[in-house]
Amino acid sequence: MIDDGAEPAAAEAVNAVDRFWESTVNGRSMRLKVPPAKRLLDLVRDDLGLTGTKRSCEIGRCGACMVLVDGAPVNSCLMMAYQCAGRDIVTIEGIADENGGLHPVQRAFLEEGGYQCGYCTPGMIVSVKALLDAVPDPSPEELEEALSGNLCRCTGYGGIIRAVRRAIEEGRENR
Amino acid sequence: MLLNRRNSGDRWRIRPDGPGKVTGGLAYLTDLTAPGMLHGLVLRSPHPHARILSVRTEAARSLPGVAAVLTRRDVPGLNRFGIARQDQPVFCEDRVRYVGDAVAAVAAKTPEIARRALGLIEVAYEPLPIADDPELALRPEAPQLHPDGNVLHSKTFRTGDVGPIFERCARVVEETYVTPRQMHAYMETEGGLFVPGENGGVAVYAPTQHGLMDRLQLARILALPKERIRVVSSPIGGSFGGKDELNVQPYGALLALATGWPVKIHNSRRESVRAGLKRHPMIIRMKTGTDENGRLLAHRVRIIADTGPYATLGAEVLNFATEHAVGAYRFGCVDAESISVFTNNGMSGEFRGFGGNQAIFALEGQMDRLADLLGMDPWEFRRMNLKSPDEPGPFGQPIAKTDGLAVVWTAVKESRLWRERTEGASAAGSSGLRNDKDRLPASEGSGQPQKAEERSPWMKIGIGAAMVMHGAGLGYGIPDPSGGRLALRGDGKIEVAFGFEEFGQGLLATLELMLIERFGFAPGDIRIVIGDSDAVPDSGSSTASRATSMMWRSLGLLQRPFEEKLLRAAAEVCGVPARQLRLGAGGVWGRESGERALSYEALAGRLAEPIVCEASTSYPVSDTDIVGAHYLYAYAAVAVKVEVDGRTGRVRVLDQFHAVAAGPVMNPQGYLGQIEGGSSMALGYALMEEAAMERGKYATNNFDTYLIPTIADLGGSVEVWPIEDLPEGDEHGPRGVGEIGSVGLAPAIAEAVRRAAGVRIDRLPIDPARLQEALPIGGMAVMSDDR
Ligand code: FES
Ligand code: FES
Repeated sequence: MIDDGAEPAAAEAVNAVDRFWESTVNGRSMRLKVPPAKRLLDLVRDDLGLTGTKRSCEIGRCGACMVLVDGAPVNSCLMMAYQCAGRDIVTIEGIADENGGLHPVQRAFLEEGGYQCGYCTPGMIVSVKALLDAVPDPSPEELEEALSGNLCRCTGYGGIIRAVRRAIEEGRENR
Repeated sequence: MLLNRRNSGDRWRIRPDGPGKVTGGLAYLTDLTAPGMLHGLVLRSPHPHARILSVRTEAARSLPGVAAVLTRRDVPGLNRFGIARQDQPVFCEDRVRYVGDAVAAVAAKTPEIARRALGLIEVAYEPLPIADDPELALRPEAPQLHPDGNVLHSKTFRTGDVGPIFERCARVVEETYVTPRQMHAYMETEGGLFVPGENGGVAVYAPTQHGLMDRLQLARILALPKERIRVVSSPIGGSFGGKDELNVQPYGALLALATGWPVKIHNSRRESVRAGLKRHPMIIRMKTGTDENGRLLAHRVRIIADTGPYATLGAEVLNFATEHAVGAYRFGCVDAESISVFTNNGMSGEFRGFGGNQAIFALEGQMDRLADLLGMDPWEFRRMNLKSPDEPGPFGQPIAKTDGLAVVWTAVKESRLWRERTEGASAAGSSGLRNDKDRLPASEGSGQPQKAEERSPWMKIGIGAAMVMHGAGLGYGIPDPSGGRLALRGDGKIEVAFGFEEFGQGLLATLELMLIERFGFAPGDIRIVIGDSDAVPDSGSSTASRATSMMWRSLGLLQRPFEEKLLRAAAEVCGVPARQLRLGAGGVWGRESGERALSYEALAGRLAEPIVCEASTSYPVSDTDIVGAHYLYAYAAVAVKVEVDGRTGRVRVLDQFHAVAAGPVMNPQGYLGQIEGGSSMALGYALMEEAAMERGKYATNNFDTYLIPTIADLGGSVEVWPIEDLPEGDEHGPRGVGEIGSVGLAPAIAEAVRRAAGVRIDRLPIDPARLQEALPIGGMAVMSDDR
């Protein structure tokens, strides 16, 4: 042990690679080999091919990579894959219902034009869904608070705010 | 009528690219992968200026998993790029001139191996003295970036000798305006997939604003015939001018060809910041004088632009800035001289507004200062000096005649916000109280919680406004061709093809709506083809607010011939005269019967060949000999209300009103989005955005230190008021609105802040510390010239 100081770490890494990562992603159980240093963002995009989750700043400032982990919005660029092992992960691809029917928030974005280039849109919609699931009738301050981690360079947020208002109203009517 | 969903009726449509965007299903070009794909990375200079003594790649090459390491020796063709002038090295040879300069590129099995390989490339540099101040860079003793020195371009426009006229002026304002290096900050960083082809060619899937221009540039670099390069360039996660020039395409294409494998490159944000274009920082000195009645007599302009190390469109941006520094006003005499200077700072280049943002910030600042000096209402002062529709453009060139200036001026004059400013002042009962902001009445219906109406003494409100006259198209002296194609294809689809790009502006939606409204097609009849150099005609670049105009014009040219051909073919099939038929939703309809005679599919099935019509046209240009002078303009006037917090110096934008005269609204959702989105960029420009550089290195590399507006900055109301009228006989139709929204808000905010805090703004972004000083808590605002 004294002579081969590097060995244990290497052995541990190999073990970690061999350990399986299990979680639910968009309602489906997943079992994958995942290196310990893998970020959730890379797992979702590269291993699962779910490219609706976007990569933009990679430091937790823009929200383009937002996913839900146990219902809470999380910047997937800041989370390691192993941290969400065994948890329930939902990406933008899992927001619509099983038959592909759009979620009311998605519909509201479509109808109000709450997007332009669309690159921020998946993350934005994930954040809005998380907010409205938790607070169906948010105040303007709550809305600002919940979405100020989602940057949009194209829209100036006008269409986004109108889309969220519409989603709130529809939610109200359907209650 | 205010532009919104309700007022737009069924012209407010779901965009064809919308479902893919809200479900995450739409694959951007940086989302693409291919079997066996390698990962590419570019090694960039750590120095703003250095000699390259040697580049050694052996160690990197021998790293397992590395497929190729390329340097300048591996460029088969021209080792240079640049849309207007090819002076930027693909790989540097003996010198690096900025921290984004590329020295080598690597393709490897994984991104990790590629990164390790970059670290193994040994480059020996000898740092050189840097030129990081454009004014100092003009001195003879400054380090010279290029054999011809440090001047990229200069532009002069002079109508006479202003010197003696200033002596006769009753009022003269002289000011130096300094504008920041703004970052495009598109959410999708540069990147794409590069796939080698069987014929020795390459397919390039990478965002750009003009796929055919990329193809031309890549053909030069790769020494390949253009036909062997396919450029797929849409959809794009934002560009704003920033992806107009080549970025990673040369490296991806070279690596794919060198390895024979698909290569993916997707810039990190850090690399995007470091290598990418920014808005030109400018120093603009203006001296402007009037007679005692407020008539403008003389205007002297000196612009120094920091263009960074290479040209891209720096010369064209400078021409534009010079033109727009003269702008919409009738000056007795103009003397403008501008210069664009090479430095070892980051690359400056094309950015929405194209030099107009800087120039108009300065020009409108002059108008507000002069009005104040004259004791006149700033809006009335502008009216007195605005050109009439019969007068020529800024460079004295003929321009398309419209009432644009007058109508947007009036719209702001009658706006709720402007009335709030002026009536607030008259309600104060004395002109001496003009600047007493606290007497302004509450804004009504601004959509903003007006908790501040009972304002603490340190919360100050101000309203300001600005005029914008913004050129569209590339301007005189730059070929500006366009065109498009309409076809009935074998599967019965009406296929429309343009060489334009969709970077979010809603080009697909605009095109779809144009086809529906002009031809009566149903959305399901239409297939839109853009963004693929193998499949589109050359329409020119999606830039300079020109795409909408050019689609409108091309479809106008195509309408008759295409309809005639379709109807003639249908007449033959149906055995009725063509004049009894018309095109409509789903097929050809009987004019009299009101019934569908033939579906497009059935018609296509009876044709031996598809019906294809092509149109070529070009952007209208002024009859002048002044390079860069425009013929078509869009006009806007912006009013804004802000709140300044004396404790923090923070400025909050509470309420905006934008009047825009740019001809008919082709796509209401797109138009509104362009003005709202553009103005939020202007808000960032005015209040927070600056990619500062220290000694040639970026002091920022991501969104933790480069702040762009968030939803919390844009909670206030934004009203957009399009004025669609054009003079009778105008043949030019819609003027684009892609840029104009990004211009006027910044100078309007500067004036609003002046009203609120008594500080004249001569530098963007506005420094909160200056406002804090001006508004001591518990004290009164003191009017000052901030000097
Ligand atoms: S990419 Fe994760 S927050 Fe920006
Ligand atoms: S729509 Fe482009 S960033 Fe939001």
